[in-house]
Amino acid sequence: MGKTPAPRRRRTPWPGDPRRTTLELRLNRRRDEENGTESMATEYGHGYGYGEEQSAGTGHRLPPALRAPFEARSWREFGYVLLSLPLSIVLFTWTVTMASLGAGLLVTFLGVPVLAAALAGCRGFGALERARARGLLRLEVAEPEPLRMRKPGALAWMGAVLKSGTSWRNLLYTLVQFPWAVFSFSVAVSLWTMGWTLLTYPLWFWVFPAYAGQGGIQLYGDEHHSVYLDNPFEITVTALVGLLFTLATPWIVRALTTVDGLMVRGLLGPSPLSARVVELESDRGVVVDTAAADLRRIERDLHDGAQARLVTLAMDLGLAKEKLHEDPQAAARMVDEAHGEVKTALQELRDLARGIHPAVLTDRGLDAALSSVASRCTVPVRVEVDLPARPAPAIEGIAYFTVSELLQNISKHSRARSAAVDVWRAADRLMLQVTDDGVGGADASRGSGLAGLAGRLDAVDGVLVVDSPAGGPTRVIAELPWRT
Amino acid sequence: MLDLRTLECRTSVRTTVVGGRIGIRIGIGGREIVEDRVRVVIAEDSVLLREGLTRLLTDRGHDVVAGVGDAEALVKTIADLDAQGELPDVVVADVRMPPTHTDEGVRAAVRLRKAHPGLGVLVLSQYVEERYATELLAGSSRGVGYLLKDRVAEVREFVDAVVRVAEGGTALDPEVVAQLLGRSRKQDVLAGLTPREREVLGLMAEGRTNSAIARQLVVSDGAVEKHVSNIFLKLGLAPSDGDHRRVLAVLTYLNS
Repeated sequence: MGKTPAPRRRRTPWPGDPRRTTLELRLNRRRDEENGTESMATEYGHGYGYGEEQSAGTGHRLPPALRAPFEARSWREFGYVLLSLPLSIVLFTWTVTMASLGAGLLVTFLGVPVLAAALAGCRGFGALERARARGLLRLEVAEPEPLRMRKPGALAWMGAVLKSGTSWRNLLYTLVQFPWAVFSFSVAVSLWTMGWTLLTYPLWFWVFPAYAGQGGIQLYGDEHHSVYLDNPFEITVTALVGLLFTLATPWIVRALTTVDGLMVRGLLGPSPLSARVVELESDRGVVVDTAAADLRRIERDLHDGAQARLVTLAMDLGLAKEKLHEDPQAAARMVDEAHGEVKTALQELRDLARGIHPAVLTDRGLDAALSSVASRCTVPVRVEVDLPARPAPAIEGIAYFTVSELLQNISKHSRARSAAVDVWRAADRLMLQVTDDGVGGADASRGSGLAGLAGRLDAVDGVLVVDSPAGGPTRVIAELPWRT
Repeated sequence: MLDLRTLECRTSVRTTVVGGRIGIRIGIGGREIVEDRVRVVIAEDSVLLREGLTRLLTDRGHDVVAGVGDAEALVKTIADLDAQGELPDVVVADVRMPPTHTDEGVRAAVRLRKAHPGLGVLVLSQYVEERYATELLAGSSRGVGYLLKDRVAEVREFVDAVVRVAEGGTALDPEVVAQLLGRSRKQDVLAGLTPREREVLGLMAEGRTNSAIARQLVVSDGAVEKHVSNIFLKLGLAPSDGDHRRVLAVLTYLNS
């Protein structure tokens, strides 16, 4: 699999996201935002899925440096730069004309509509530019937030266009991109033509003696002295210099388009704030959904468990009551059975209550609660909690249920011989680590309980990282905000 | 005294009025002789409860033909039994069953009632909803029951309800009736009833016969008849003789 060195990771939802910090970098894992799932540690090393196309026809024997001029990707990027100039001229002209026209007319009632049209045009061009970047640079930039119109109508639309930050950022793009497009077009076209011209010089140097009346390309010349590239050595050196240029051009073009990519991402994509809003909206959805799911689960547990048992119990006691006089022995047996039922019902109710919220967690905190969970696990678990104080109750609860679920997984699936739970505080984060020496192969992306856990943690700006290669061992680390 | 009432009720079973518990069996010297075995199919996903119900009904001398765990199996079992010409008298079904654990029982009951008009259907649930009662009673109140599961604790009354439904009667949970009474838009008319008449109305809506109401309230049959005719007069309903038609009239009145 040939990998070009240039592409880098580019998938955090927005660059300043505080959540994707230490843990991720330390463990060298990544979240696959595009699939909306927590990607697993085990898939690390399968490449980044970006810029991994194979160069057509040349096979894999050539090193990337030699392959670059023929790669489809290089051609696409070169095409992007070529297209940039005419497009940027259109964009720049549109913006400058319309904006100055609009600004000039502001004193009349025409100014505002013209300005709104200018901005709307910029938004349209922005969409075009995103599509161009997606097609040629393979750059996925999300749509910015749509216009928020309180009521329908042309006036409201104009207001929304003028007030939208996206419009103005798109306008800024049309202005900034123009000089850059001129620059990168000149550089790219000059380098490219010069490279190929010099490289192919041995093929056409005969033109000079045959038609131009001189030996070759003139390097230097005044009245006394001229230097021509005409002997075989000079021709070879020229071709080599051309080769160097040809090989270097794709990388230079790539560097140029990287800047274009930054501009598209920064000025045409959603603003960091709106990206955060989208993320928080989805988190809130998760919170609401999980709360509803929890209530449903509790209702189901009650319905199928304790409630059914109590009904049976009532029935048994009813029967016993009827039998009391006719058949006291049978009645006694029934009461005995009912007694057993009551005890089971009590046990079930206790388990259910613990599943809703363990009392010991409220009373004594994570250390005691986790010890209690660990003691119910089928494998021996070492628990170490090193916390200077107690985090916020909600965080404690999530931490507790995370460990509880992970230990249940260990009991059910891991075939481990031992497990360990560590809890500590790192700056303003609560860290959990649950490890086992079992068979591994845990995968959060396969709709398991792990995916649910990841969702729950995500909802409070937490992170769940699963490192579980097939064959084990498994290590799950969760990071939660401390929030006192 | 026993003999007389038994005879009376045994004849009435196949005509109009269902006699309730006394018509079903006679206790002689602590041993029960079953007069009328009811054939039951139980649909309940909790094995514990299914077995409990089976034990309870068998203990009272009834036949539990089959016990199933979900609505699909219930419909299939009934179809199979019907094909063999052995349609049971009554189905006792839980509302919530697999696969979706919502209202499969009610939907299956409605389907069964359409397909087999002679089949009694008694629906059990952890909680009762007047909406489900309305769905079950749509069209006819013949052979329909809807009870809270808690009612199984009163073994006698529960078995009575099963038998009543098996024989074409109605058994509505007092809670459903209370909901209907409380929700009815005719509160002003209901307010015109005496407390005793309201009590009788409630019991009537549950599907009880005049004699059962008389026993419950410890009054004479004549007194109940007087209350009933008063109620019908005050509500402006035409007096009707059949018990299940009476129930329907009352329910329609309350629901309108």
